Amino acid sequence: MNNVDFALIGHQDSWTAIAGVLAVLRGPERAPLPDDEIREIFPWIPPRTVCCVDVNSIAGARASGVYIDSFIPPDRLDSTCIRENLARVRGAAANAIHAGAKIVSLGGFSSILIEGDFDQLPAAQDTVFTTGNTLTVAYIVQGVKKMCALNGRNLGNSTLLVVGATGDIGSGCARCLAPLVKRVLLCARNVERLRRLAAEFQTDGIQVEVATDLQRFSTQADVVICAASLPSPALLLGRIARGAIVCDAGYPKNLSPTAEMPDAKVFFGGLGQITGGLKFAPDFRGILNRHPFPDVVHGCLLEGVALALEGRFEPFSKGRGAITPDRVAEMEAIAARHGIYLAPLYNDDGPLEPQNV
Amino acid sequence: MERVVCLDPSPSVCTSALPTASIWQDVLAHAVTGELLAAMNYTSLSEICNDPAEIAEALEHAQNERGHAAAFAAEGRKIGVEVANNVEAKHWKRLRASFLRCVEERDFTGCLIIQEIMLESFALASYSRVGKVGPGTLGQTFARIAAEEEEHIGHAVAILSKERARDAQRFDEKVYRLHLDVMGTLAQMLAKDCRDGHCEVCHASCVKPALFEVSLSAVQLRGASLQQYLKTLDMLGIPGQVTLAWVTQLPV
Repeated sequence: MNNVDFALIGHQDSWTAIAGVLAVLRGPERAPLPDDEIREIFPWIPPRTVCCVDVNSIAGARASGVYIDSFIPPDRLDSTCIRENLARVRGAAANAIHAGAKIVSLGGFSSILIEGDFDQLPAAQDTVFTTGNTLTVAYIVQGVKKMCALNGRNLGNSTLLVVGATGDIGSGCARCLAPLVKRVLLCARNVERLRRLAAEFQTDGIQVEVATDLQRFSTQADVVICAASLPSPALLLGRIARGAIVCDAGYPKNLSPTAEMPDAKVFFGGLGQITGGLKFAPDFRGILNRHPFPDVVHGCLLEGVALALEGRFEPFSKGRGAITPDRVAEMEAIAARHGIYLAPLYNDDGPLEPQNV
Repeated sequence: MERVVCLDPSPSVCTSALPTASIWQDVLAHAVTGELLAAMNYTSLSEICNDPAEIAEALEHAQNERGHAAAFAAEGRKIGVEVANNVEAKHWKRLRASFLRCVEERDFTGCLIIQEIMLESFALASYSRVGKVGPGTLGQTFARIAAEEEEHIGHAVAILSKERARDAQRFDEKVYRLHLDVMGTLAQMLAKDCRDGHCEVCHASCVKPALFEVSLSAVQLRGASLQQYLKTLDMLGIPGQVTLAWVTQLPV
């Protein structure tokens, strides 16, 4: 038992990322594992701690933690592997409990698989879990606002499309941004959930349209949030306004590399940056967090870090569809107190903010 | 040192009507060889035990492993093949030499780590996979013996965990030293193809490329073995990030 403050449970979203992690573990003196060996060995690795993580707050607090990988192979995220992957997430959670973590953040598909239902995880007296989705929503919303400002767009005149709108993150984003835009388009697979969410907005007088098919909307969106739980980047947005602002908040990414979006301003959303100091042991900087800027981490993982720095060991984000603007504001304030802010915006082509280009 | 088994490296003829008999013949040959080596190891272990109860236990283990070898050989006869064995085959010989080094040092803990943590993890994982696909009683025998090997691991974990509790750092260093020695050999043995020549156990060419015909694969057996090994090390309490690095550093 290590009695760490926090544990971050994650998985790699590509074989390239996995190769990077294994190369660090093998050390520079050994040749990297061939790709075919990696694909053959990796799926057999049981969930386990990969490295220690130390974080400093700008307010003087410190928190120590561990990164635990569930070792879900990136090509086995689809629904046919749910049982196997749930077992991996449970195994990773058991590792976190064994490490004595006071709070555990569930990254990427870890929280998608359990749908915020912590009863699916091993029972623990002194360990709490959070999906981390509230801080992810905060950084998506902040990113959309910043991207609009950078591109001289008035959010108040915009039509917002949320793909994956009934998910925890999608519905949270919709709740935060719906009051600020002209019209909201909600897209998801479950019609009933869509109607329930739309009803929330209609009572507040917000113009809202729902569809299970992106092609069915009567109007084109000029601000898009992609927050669908897709096992691979396969989303083709189709009908969106020319030059639309598009936030890809998926992990793995939602947008297909072949998506045709003329003049779209795409950015990767939901990312935060630690400014007080982040250390990995062994040194996985830029390997576990592969971003063009230092100390950038997904919001879902940062939520556990921020709560640990704050000394608030509570399941801040749980369940599905419970994220409200008030909770988002509370979470982003906690993170900001410790120097965790929205990460600089970027996409596959590089940084997007003038000072970083 | 007492000679505990009759070594029989001679090639044997397959006269079975079972189309996959020659594959099972080799699978069984590896299993029999492993069991005989285990019997030899336990007999050697008994020679460094001081406590009569420990001596009796080691000899009982040796007898059990000989029983496993006999059971596998009998399964071969049932499908009409003569199952050879060769504890002098290059990989097995190296594994035996590693074990004997611990015996020479009168290192009881080291012996347990090699036999019951490393070799038994490999046996448990492999036998369990074979048990799922083996035809009739052959599969049942593998599954039954896998369950018995699992008990061995559980027994060893109970003893070794106490040993680790006394001095975790020293214990982990010892496991790592033995890991480099033994698991490197096992990794070569478990490689998806025998790049460094014939294993000297298969009766003709390497059985690995043909395993798919009996719903097995060398990749699967290697993966399952490494997984079981990691889980066994977890049971001992060795930190997961440490053992992850050990396994990723193995030769491929």
